Parts: sequence; structure tokens; C-alpha cells
Amino acid sequence: MKAKLYLEKISKVFTDGDHEVTVLDELSLKVNEGEFVAVVGPSGSGKSTFLSISGALLSPSKGRMFINGKDLSKESDDKLNEIRLKNIGFVFQSSNLIPYLTVLDQLILISVLAGKDKQEAEVKANKLLDRLGLSHRVHHYPETLSGGERQRVAIARAWMNDPEILLADEPTASLDAERGREVVQMLSDEVKLRGKAAVMVTHDQRVLDLCDRVLYMEDGKLVENKR
Amino acid sequence: MFLALRELRHAKLRYALISLIMILIAWLVLFVTGLANGLSSDNAASIQYSSVDYLLLSKDGDQKITRSSLSGQSLNDIGKFVQKDDAAPVSIQMSTVENENKKIDVAFFAIDATSFLKPQLVEGKMFSNDRSNEVVVDRSIKEEGLLLGDKIKDELSGKTFTIVGFSKNQTFSHSPVVHMNVKTWSHLGRPYSKETMNAIALKTDKDTADKIERSYSEIEAVEKKQALKGIPGYQEEQGSLLMMIIFLFIIAAFVLAVFFYVITIQKMNQFGVLKAIGAKTGYLAKNILYQVFLLSSVSLLISNGLTYGVSFMLPASLPFVLSPLLALGCSLLFLGVALLGSVLSLYQVAKIDAIEAIGRAA
Repeated sequence: MKAKLYLEKISKVFTDGDHEVTVLDELSLKVNEGEFVAVVGPSGSGKSTFLSISGALLSPSKGRMFINGKDLSKESDDKLNEIRLKNIGFVFQSSNLIPYLTVLDQLILISVLAGKDKQEAEVKANKLLDRLGLSHRVHHYPETLSGGERQRVAIARAWMNDPEILLADEPTASLDAERGREVVQMLSDEVKLRGKAAVMVTHDQRVLDLCDRVLYMEDGKLVENKR
Repeated sequence: MFLALRELRHAKLRYALISLIMILIAWLVLFVTGLANGLSSDNAASIQYSSVDYLLLSKDGDQKITRSSLSGQSLNDIGKFVQKDDAAPVSIQMSTVENENKKIDVAFFAIDATSFLKPQLVEGKMFSNDRSNEVVVDRSIKEEGLLLGDKIKDELSGKTFTIVGFSKNQTFSHSPVVHMNVKTWSHLGRPYSKETMNAIALKTDKDTADKIERSYSEIEAVEKKQALKGIPGYQEEQGSLLMMIIFLFIIAAFVLAVFFYVITIQKMNQFGVLKAIGAKTGYLAKNILYQVFLLSSVSLLISNGLTYGVSFMLPASLPFVLSPLLALGCSLLFLGVALLGSVLSLYQVAKIDAIEAIGRAA
């Protein structure tokens, strides 16, 4: 099977004053088409750093990363920006929607940024929102939505440009158990339906059964089973 | 500008407040500019609006037209450099005239009735060179109730003149100008005489003016702009108003800079998210500039409207002159200042790292 995301011996070292902190230590990960992976670990274990590097927001100190077989290690910042826009979808903690855009505009913005046709984007956005059960909320602003609805809009936004992989940063952090499960189920369904890949960083033990694989962050590495 | 417009629409109150401040500052800028301009023309219209290029003054006169004194011989000599029609002698004296026990401050201008310094008439006729005691007065004197054919008496000499015409835009040192011929002037007695004059007005270029200046040790050629500054009170008035205008522009720049800076800081997290999902700094910067441009343009339109609207309600005695060209220039400068004020915000946006969006709750 084709690897959508491949991290090859990624290391990240931060300098703190005069001593170095190794956050990621030769971490490797392969996420295949149709796969939904959860990454679990205590705070400060490097989950955010891992997600930032996977999302091309941060460059590793050592190692290479591939998205859909393409090596990103040597790309310029501008190019990375474009890759993020077209190939990576983000779902952030507490959704991070733009407060002054309606639900529909949140999605259309992604197409506008990519320089695509607005009419087409609207059709696509409406379809996505419909599938995620948000068609009655299309013209609402984020402040009038519930937490679960906001997170669903964020998921719809992440899928807008048909990215190869979707990265979710604690998508259930601000939701109750039931809503959290719903949102993760939705993520999982979309990954399967589209033949894409997703990585979710989470604290939430209750939703792990919905994922294909659960990896644990330990000493800067990812391990399959908790020791 | 997808983001800019939607944000303006959503945060109406916030941006309406910024617009209100801009409207008020721009309104004040335009108003003070109009006032400065109005005072300038009220003070010196007789020289400002004449077609004079250079004034020949005596060197010992500190470039002040009222202190200068030239002999009649000078005028004959000037004929060597410029055409006779392009040189016009003028004598000026501030005085007070009386009409039915009402005293009015005026400026006497003695000129050749056929020279290019002759005032533009709005009523009556021009005096001739050979009849004495006929004068043309600026129409602002009509506010004192004077009409064509009325007589005014010079307090100093006791001579009486008949008003044969009214002119427009003829003021000097905030007083209406009374134009008379040299014959009338010389009848006033000392210090008035045919043989001396304050200045010779020239219509000429810089080269000729320089040549004349080099040829006579006691004469200097002063440009119109410079000569205006020599009118009593002119420079002081214009200087203080100009300072106010400059300060208003500086205040506008800082107020707007702070406003947009604070708003940008407030939206740091949002910009981080936008960058993370693939918005380039250039795109975000364009949106901010577009917002500033739009807000400023609308504010300027409103303040221009207010300025012109209020100028119609002003009493005639308040000098206010604002040409559309000057208003446009002021508005463009204001727009430039507003855009300059947003530079600080652009710098902030450029500095924001997309990584701020990860691992952070809003």
C-alpha cells in the first residue's frame, strides 16, 4: 500500500540556554492510505513538535519527511506554505475557526487561498457541510455554534482542498464524551471514504478504539505498545 | 479581498469607531487647512492673486514691501531689462479712512491705472491716470455700508476720495486695498510723492531678475512667495497654522498605527491559524492594507463632505478658502499617513509563525 505520510528518522533538538533538549529522537512513522493513526502521550512528550513537523510547520533537525512520496526536506518556506494549503488538512484544538466568517465562508476561504474558482468552492463546501450534518448552520457565525458543531466545521474545512493527510491536534479537547466520539468517528469515516490518511494527537483514551493504530510517544520515539 | 470585507462587515462597531476618529481628525485637518488658506488670502490677496513674478525692493528693506523705498529713477532704468508693460511701480501705505464717522483700516495702493497691477473690477469703473481723488476699493468694504459714489476721507491728510469701483480679492494685511493713481497719491503730501515708490512689480523670469539684481547695488529682486512672507503678520499666522496641520498629521499617523497594532495583536492566534492552513504573509498584509485603504477612503469622503458642508454655514467674515485641489492633496496625504500607520501591524503579521496554531487553545 502507498504511504501517504512517511517520517524517516526525524530528530528535533531545541537549545534551551546552554544545554540541548532532544524532543524527537530518530522518530520514524509510516501512515498508509485509508489509515487513521492516534498518537498518545503525556504533556511535554513532544506530541506538538511531532505534529508541527508532520504538518510542515517546523523543519526537523535531522531526518527526512515525505508526503505522498514527495520529499519535503529541502523545500523553501513559500513552497511549504503551498504544500500545507494543498496537501495537508489541519484540525486544531478548540477548532480555531475565523470568528468573522460564516460556516460556508470558512470553507470557501481555503479555495480562495488556493486561487480556485469561488462558485465551484461553494458547491463543494455545501456538499461537505451536508455530509457532516451542518447544512442548517451554513450561514451561522462560529460564536453561535456548539463546540461539537465547531469541530465538525473545522473537519469540513480541513477536507476542503482534498489533502493527502489530515492532522488533528486534540480535536476532542473541548468536547464532552459523546460529542468527542462523534467527531472522531466522523474523521475516521472520512479517511476511509476518501482513501486518505489521518494522524490524531490526543489525550482522550475514550476514542482510541475508533483508530486503526494507537502509537505512544516515549522518549522522543513512537512505539506501538505501551511498555 | 475575501477576509477584509467580511471582517469589516462582522465587526461593524469596532471599525465604525476607527472611522469616526479618522473622520474627526481629517475634518480638523481640512478645516484648519482651509482656514490657513483663507487667512493667507485675506491677508495678502492683492499680491497672492496678482500675476507678479518678482518684486524689486530696496536692499535695506529686509525684503519687506512696506519698508522698501525706491527712487523714480529706478523705473526708467528697468526699461533696459524688461518690456515696459511687464514692470509696474507700486506704493503702499496703511491708513485709516472715515465715512460718516465710521473708521475703517485700509491699505492705499498707488498704481498706474493701465499697468498689470490694476485690480479686477466687480462693480463700477476703473479710475484714469489723469483725474485725481478717484479710487477703487475692495468689495469687502461694502460690509461697512459703503456704496458706489460714496466718499471716504483719509484721516492723516484730510483728503477726500470718491469710490468709482469695487474690486475683488484685493486685501493687504487683512485690510481692504484702496487703489488710486499716482496723481492722487502725490496730493496726499509727505511722505507720499511721485518720485519714490515702495516696489516695482515685474512679470519676468529668474534670469532677468538676477541680472537686474546684479546691476544695481541698492536693489534686490524678491520672489512673490518671499515677498508674501514680508507682509506684517503673514509668516506668523501661516507658521502657527502649518504647525497645527503637521501635528494633526502626526497624531493621525500614531492614533491609527496604535489602533491597527492593537487589533492585529488581538488577532495573533487567528493569523497563526490562517498561516497554518496556507495563507501567505503577503495575502494577509494585502487584506490589512485593503482594510486601511477602505476605511480611510470612506472616512475622507465623509470628512470632505462635512468640511464643505460646514463651510457654507460659516459667516462671511471668517476667511475660509479650500480649493478642491488642495482638499484632494490633503486627503491623499492623509491616506498615505494612514497606510504608513499600518506598517507596524504588517511587521507583526510577518513575524507571526504558523506554528502558534498548534498545541494552543484559543
